[in-house]
Amino acid sequence: MSSRYHGSSRVLRLLARFELPFSRAFAAEHNPFHHLGALTIYFFWIILVSGIYLFLFYDTSVSGAWLSLERITHDQWYAGGVMRSLHRYASDAAVITMILHMSREFLRGRYRGVRWYSWFTGVPLLWLVFIFGITGYWMVWDELAQYVAVSTARLLDWLPIFSDPMMRNFLSNETVNDRFFTLMAFIHLVGLPLALVLGVWFHLLRVRLPRINPPRTLMAGSLAALLALSLAAPALSHPPADLGGVPLELQLDWYYLAIYPLLDASSEGAVWAGLWGISLFLCALPWLPPMKHPPPAVVHLSDCTGCEFCAEDCPYGAIEMVPRTDGRRFELEAKVDPALCVSCGICTGSCPSSSPFRKQQPLLTGIELPYCTMNDFKRRLEAAAARAGGPGPRIVLVGCDYSVDVSAAEQRDVAALSLPCAGMMPPAAIDYLLRTGGADGVILAGCDAGDCHFRHGDRWLRQRVARERMPKLRSRVPRERVLLSWHKPVDVAGLSAAIASFRQRLEALPAEGPTEDEEWSA
Amino acid sequence: MKAPRPLQLLGQAAAWTLFAVVTGVFAQWPSYSPLAEGHGELKLSMAHLTERLEPCVQLSPEEVAALPPNMRVAERCERARAEAVVQLLLDGEPLLDTAVRPVGLARGGRSYLQAHWSLPAGDYELELRLRDTPRETGFDTVQRFRLGLAAGESALLDIGDGDARLVSGRDPAPAPQENQK
Repeated sequence: MSSRYHGSSRVLRLLARFELPFSRAFAAEHNPFHHLGALTIYFFWIILVSGIYLFLFYDTSVSGAWLSLERITHDQWYAGGVMRSLHRYASDAAVITMILHMSREFLRGRYRGVRWYSWFTGVPLLWLVFIFGITGYWMVWDELAQYVAVSTARLLDWLPIFSDPMMRNFLSNETVNDRFFTLMAFIHLVGLPLALVLGVWFHLLRVRLPRINPPRTLMAGSLAALLALSLAAPALSHPPADLGGVPLELQLDWYYLAIYPLLDASSEGAVWAGLWGISLFLCALPWLPPMKHPPPAVVHLSDCTGCEFCAEDCPYGAIEMVPRTDGRRFELEAKVDPALCVSCGICTGSCPSSSPFRKQQPLLTGIELPYCTMNDFKRRLEAAAARAGGPGPRIVLVGCDYSVDVSAAEQRDVAALSLPCAGMMPPAAIDYLLRTGGADGVILAGCDAGDCHFRHGDRWLRQRVARERMPKLRSRVPRERVLLSWHKPVDVAGLSAAIASFRQRLEALPAEGPTEDEEWSA
Repeated sequence: MKAPRPLQLLGQAAAWTLFAVVTGVFAQWPSYSPLAEGHGELKLSMAHLTERLEPCVQLSPEEVAALPPNMRVAERCERARAEAVVQLLLDGEPLLDTAVRPVGLARGGRSYLQAHWSLPAGDYELELRLRDTPRETGFDTVQRFRLGLAAGESALLDIGDGDARLVSGRDPAPAPQENQK
């Protein structure tokens, strides 16, 4: 049996309460908080395009760097100036979305167990992004660049890397040379972008069907916001660098450069200890303490036809189709990799054998969770259908453990049960409830659209019910008696409103119900 | 539950405005001063080759002849060099007193030292004492400098292989110019 082991935590409820207005304003599938990783990648596209434009006019020399940027900023403010500001603000925006993305995944517990890999490979990306930003500021060669260069040299010289200290390059205006700027340009324009692309590839290696691009509305909205900011507060240089002086006042970019005031207030050793300490802590976090996750899905070869639907639907690539081992006439069989399985049950929903109509005792299916078997599931479906009483339409509400608590929405005519993921619901079970179970309507309530805890549960269920994905909802099932309703964990009011509206809809239907092909969605 | 369309658009506009404001504000505010008001900076940079711990030994013609033809040298030198002991006094008060080991596995390279101090603007007497030979006491070099430090200035005390020199930060910086391409 499944249990609500995440959705009820206080922090998660606070997070959901914070994000709910954004789901209302943007529509859930376009809620920016559901696309933070993709938005970060999108900001890097803006940075790349604007950076290429800036490089066309940039002079990679000590004496020319600052002046060339002044020309870009002022002589062509409408193009180069805007591009420079976009370059800068998109970089800052990327830090914001990256930190929010990391914090959100942490708060939702999506960094442990099987998901350790994406979390772990995200930590080096943090370093890459900050080095990217720091080298960018360096290239302006203004007072801020001077402060960053001198402080970075101080930090690097503390490490036993260079025999000839890096700081000796920044002793006076005569010791800085053009080759250094060529090196910085190479690192910033070639080395780091390549490393970042490689890092993102590693980060997404174990994510099936990752969302690389945010929805177009978010692309347009964020670009408009950054453009407006670029026009309202254009990015400008400080006075040119002068190593014979120390800058007295700096407009510091706190998103990238906050470690330098920390360095001034402490010491090189303390800053390195902090940076490495935080990085090691983040790397170790998935195992602090080791996660006790539910047992992985098991395959019953007696009911597996090797159809491959489960392997296609698994959001974590935990199912591999291998040659048959039991001598039956099918070519393939499913094999679960326990190291990758998150025990979501989406595979049960995708298995054509997952049908409560079958008379087999005990009821098995091709693939199922040991703690939430098909036999248990059928028993709970029947119990829920029996609990829903008249005199009005009887409704069975099937929810998921990570969305709104469906048990709180139970009423005399509404009986609820919760699954590990809404994507576990086989379409045959909807048919069963309406034909055999005696329900007049079925509500499938899961995580907010585009924000499934197990990534694709809502998407697959929506497509199966819409008869676009196998196994499809049978055509004999009246679609107007099925409601898909997606909610944040705290959105009890939204679910209640959806139930009330659905009840009215059912009451208006004739007893047998028409079979018009109309989808209902909250 | 969806909000009405106008409210949705208003909500989106508010969200993107908040996003732009948060992005823009902390991209340049609050401003930061690396130095306290009325202060300047004194930098010390040393890259100094100290004396060898053991003097080089002149090889006899027989010893030279015994060496492979491509490796014949006139003298044999041990690589290890003495520590550099540096003392810096500011108006007679000790500012720095440290011993720096030469770099390299055999301690055969230069002795490097970087330090900096924030000082109130004003006139100072600097005294640099340097021991760069294997002797155990005393100093091989003592140099005195007059430092007139202005607010925001960064003066450099540069200790190379020869004499140390004090470089004022008030020398005008070269004006930025476009490179001839």
